[in-house]
Amino acid sequence: MVENIVEMENIIKNFGLVHAVKTGNFNLRKGEIHSLIGENGAGKSTMMKLLYGMYPIDGGSIKVRGQLLENLTPKIAIENGIGMVHQEFMLVENLTVLENIILGFEPTKGSVIDFDLARKTVTKFIEQYGMNVQLNKKVHQISVGEAQRVEIIKILTRGAEVIILDEPTAVLTPQEADRLFEIMENLKNDGKSIIFISHKLNEVMKVSDRITVMRHGDYMGTVKKEDTSPSELAKMMIGREVFLDLKKEKATPGEVICQVKDLWTSGNKETSKVRGISFDVRAGEIVGLAGIDGNGQSELVEAITGLRKIEKGSVTLDGKDITNLSPKKIRENGMTHIPEDRNLRGLNRQLTIKDNLLASRIDDKKFKHHFLRKDSSILEESNNLIGEFDIRPTDPETLLSSLSGGNAQKIVVAREISTVGNLLVAAQPTRGVDIGAIESIRSIIQEQKKKGIGIILISADLEEIISLSDRIIVIHEGHISGKIDVKDANEENLGLLMMGGKDTSREGLNLEGLNE
Amino acid sequence: MDLSSILNASLIYATFRSATPIIYAALCASLTQQADILNIGTEGIMLTGAFAAVAISYTTGSWVLAIIVAMLAGLLMAAIMAVANIKYGADICAIGMGINMFAIAITKFLMTSVFGMRGTFSNPDIVAIPRVVIPGLESIPFLNEVFNGWALTEWFVIVFIVLMWFLLFKTKWGLHLRSVGQYPMAAQTAGINVTSMKYQAILISGLIGGLAGAHLSLGYSRLFTENMTNNRGFMGVAAMFFGNAHPVWTSVGCLVFGLTDSIGARLQAYGIAAQLVLMLPYIVTIVVLSISMVSKYYTKKRRQSSLLLIR
Amino acid sequence: MNNTIEKIVKVLLTIIVSFLVGAIFILIIDENPLDAYTALIEGAFSGKLMFGTTLANFTPLLLTSIAFAIAAKAGAFNVGVEGEIFLGGIAAAYIGINWTFLPAPLLYVACFAGAIIVGAAWAWIPGVLKAYYNVSEVCTTILMNTVAVYLTSYLVNGPMSGGGVNAQSADVAVTLKQFMRPSSANVGIIISIIVSILIIVMYYKTSFGFKLKSVGSNPSFSDCMGIDSKKIFVKAMMLSGAIGGLVGCIEVLGVHGYYLDNFATNLGINGMLAALIVKSNLVMCPPLAFFLAILRTGALRMQQSTGVPKSLVDTITAIFIIFATMDSLFNLDVFKKIKRKKPFDTKLAKGVK
Repeated sequence: MVENIVEMENIIKNFGLVHAVKTGNFNLRKGEIHSLIGENGAGKSTMMKLLYGMYPIDGGSIKVRGQLLENLTPKIAIENGIGMVHQEFMLVENLTVLENIILGFEPTKGSVIDFDLARKTVTKFIEQYGMNVQLNKKVHQISVGEAQRVEIIKILTRGAEVIILDEPTAVLTPQEADRLFEIMENLKNDGKSIIFISHKLNEVMKVSDRITVMRHGDYMGTVKKEDTSPSELAKMMIGREVFLDLKKEKATPGEVICQVKDLWTSGNKETSKVRGISFDVRAGEIVGLAGIDGNGQSELVEAITGLRKIEKGSVTLDGKDITNLSPKKIRENGMTHIPEDRNLRGLNRQLTIKDNLLASRIDDKKFKHHFLRKDSSILEESNNLIGEFDIRPTDPETLLSSLSGGNAQKIVVAREISTVGNLLVAAQPTRGVDIGAIESIRSIIQEQKKKGIGIILISADLEEIISLSDRIIVIHEGHISGKIDVKDANEENLGLLMMGGKDTSREGLNLEGLNE
Repeated sequence: MDLSSILNASLIYATFRSATPIIYAALCASLTQQADILNIGTEGIMLTGAFAAVAISYTTGSWVLAIIVAMLAGLLMAAIMAVANIKYGADICAIGMGINMFAIAITKFLMTSVFGMRGTFSNPDIVAIPRVVIPGLESIPFLNEVFNGWALTEWFVIVFIVLMWFLLFKTKWGLHLRSVGQYPMAAQTAGINVTSMKYQAILISGLIGGLAGAHLSLGYSRLFTENMTNNRGFMGVAAMFFGNAHPVWTSVGCLVFGLTDSIGARLQAYGIAAQLVLMLPYIVTIVVLSISMVSKYYTKKRRQSSLLLIR
Repeated sequence: MNNTIEKIVKVLLTIIVSFLVGAIFILIIDENPLDAYTALIEGAFSGKLMFGTTLANFTPLLLTSIAFAIAAKAGAFNVGVEGEIFLGGIAAAYIGINWTFLPAPLLYVACFAGAIIVGAAWAWIPGVLKAYYNVSEVCTTILMNTVAVYLTSYLVNGPMSGGGVNAQSADVAVTLKQFMRPSSANVGIIISIIVSILIIVMYYKTSFGFKLKSVGSNPSFSDCMGIDSKKIFVKAMMLSGAIGGLVGCIEVLGVHGYYLDNFATNLGINGMLAALIVKSNLVMCPPLAFFLAILRTGALRMQQSTGVPKSLVDTITAIFIIFATMDSLFNLDVFKKIKRKKPFDTKLAKGVK
């Protein structure tokens, strides 16, 4: 008889009208690595946040070591030996690594925090698992990989026996991910039980003992790794066979439409400052910008689109210098932009569908008569776009706050595609949307290319970069670490370039050098 | 104009004296700011405290009781703000202004209807917070002028600044509070009850605000007048911005305002129009606040610049 | 439409609850709440003087509430309307006294233009400080109000003094026609109403109005769409300031005929209160402003005919705001069913960028 350390049965969780989890079933055996997989929005993260007590469950039961836990809170979860590394790190940037690790579980001497004791305890864990972290650095000074290790140490010091890792590899290169898998293996050998959330099937097949699949909030089954295959898992995840490999349109690149020359711009972190990037985009081609999140791609996009000041260098569009023009002027010169964060920049949740569709064109003569807005033309154009891009709901007066991720992203795409332009900057165009929307957004981008529009595609998803781009530029710490033609690109060589070169041991050195 | 009659030993105490009420107010605002709550209601909390202190001191003759009740009155106002903001989703600026308006109105209402006074509430029966006379200091001219005769709450503010610093940066509670302010989700996942911490921050800040008021009406002066805080609460908030909610730096900001105030008072003796002198501390507050925010902006910009190589 | 009804019901509930709380205060001081409230409402309408005073009170309240609300639409919390009234008033007075070389119609225009420009310029300062350097506009505008009070007081006591015993300037050469004398109601009310309508139309129907709304609800989105959020924010502040200046001009030319020291005390603050109670909904500002005008006028009568001091009205108004700001306090069950819960606690989800 194998001991189940965690048992979740018939879990239900609703967020308002959204049924996030409908039939949640999951059990975890002691000392196994159990993967939980599913598409975006399948409910896998929600399931684990419920186990960690971040939201109350609406139905079902959660047992840990056979004991029923009701009114679970993170505090109770931690006391029961459950720890979670969230997709978005739960680290306070302005506190030190040590303060972050002990947060909530501070050893005290009298009424004062005993930092010496804390340091001693934490160091013991660091040494035990051979994880290199710098305790005195503030969190905003350390790299993503290190922050992830801090998160793992944090939950270990809290006595976690069950470790939940929510899409931990999303922010890592393939090589860094391999190192994480080694750490996971060490933890497993030490008797810890691990829940690994992912949607990358190759990783899941590499590390898991067992795999549970969810789809649209429903439990689809649990299988042993030996008894399954990636294609079978894909089918369970999606419900049908899907091949995202679009037939790539052969590029017939024309004139250079956009030229970025020795561009320097500021960055929120040292490693995301863009320092001297140059490249060209020609009409009718897709240039993919690959890189791990936070290596300057976002800053580069902001600089090109006029949202961030260019400190040195220039950008030309269709022969015209657009360096440091306002976003409005840049748009007038023919650039369109699908921003990476649809909730922040892409959409305004408090406006209606029609206002979101036409926000960038409110001053067009078509939609404005003297000072007054032309409601009839606005409505007409919105209805056209809603039909053309299959946006649901179809009422243009609907407030955006009630839309799903896929439909919301379609609005962003519809707005940008419907604006006549000669260069499209598409940043993470399919992040966080369901598979159907991914297919349609990718084919829309292909169509734009066929029309002769130059496209810059930024994506953290290597598969997306490889399947859409004609040429690939890899960015690492704000520099171009390599340019590859798509024929020669694969996950391995891109992964290496994303880490800044061929020599993997240099990664740590670079970072530390810059931070001191 | 004789410079030495403006810049003399008594200016040191004058500066400190006019800064003290603002320091208390600023600490009241700092505490909630550490939990990422902008305490616009500081002014109203303080005003309520000032009124409660005078009312109790007048009726009971006990300044200790007066301070306690003033702090409780501040707590009550803060509690309204906390419930409205945290439980019922009130915008913090709106509810803060609401509290300020309420404080002005209710103190005026109670002063006229309960105590039958108009405009100013002063009476020989009001017992002030005692002043500390250090024996033996009278014989040392400079030190005597600077240090003798401080109100008890003026000495206490120094202790209080240190206490606040200790609380925020050395204790478990302080670390929890700061984490709640900077990244509530991280605090929540560490098992900290974010809502409870926010309540605690606002309520404790209410106690401090009440104390600020009590000092203003019984330590700084010995009476209550309509709207007697006269924007000191807002100056405290400005100082809080200046000092990034750090107790020590925030207090330094308050001293700057205090200095302007006392220099201004001396300038008036030289025939400079009263109004121009009275608006000086406000202008200085605005200017200091702006400069500190602008310099923060440029420091950040410089830190983020790609042209700057850290090495 | 349901949404509008819900909003109106909420405001009405707020008013009722506030009056109930006010009644408790009245009972505490041993008076009869019914008598007091009757005197309060009757006072505002009884006779030409009282009704005229209500209208005179309504004029600035309407504009100041609109001024606060329009700034709020762009995300600004402009407490500075009060200071803008003072400065607009002194500017109008200065021009009205000294530029008599202009023919009367031009002098009117000059007075109004001067007041509007000065008001807008004054509001430009906190606007720029907030938009570009993140200096809290709440703090700066409050402090600047005090500066405006002292500055105008200095001018009217010194350089611009009319020479009499009172702290007031000389008479202006042009005035707005008064009616319903001896109250100070004047044709400024017509200007107020026209300007309010223009602002409301501007917000709902023009592209500038759309930009305000967009910037107020999501500045990052606006920037990305080519709407300069910082410029729009500053413009909204200036518009708000311009309205404040206009109020100052109307008060000086219409009510007093000269600049009177401290004439605008609480005018701006009361407008802000009105706007806060209706959550800066422009269409609901006028009725609420009118209601507050009734209370303000009736308060005097209440004080005279019962023993309840007029500061009770301020107390009740403040209680309005406290209740009105609580978004979820009067979430009636009927509306609750329609409302969706937020999928995630967005308040918690800030942090690391």
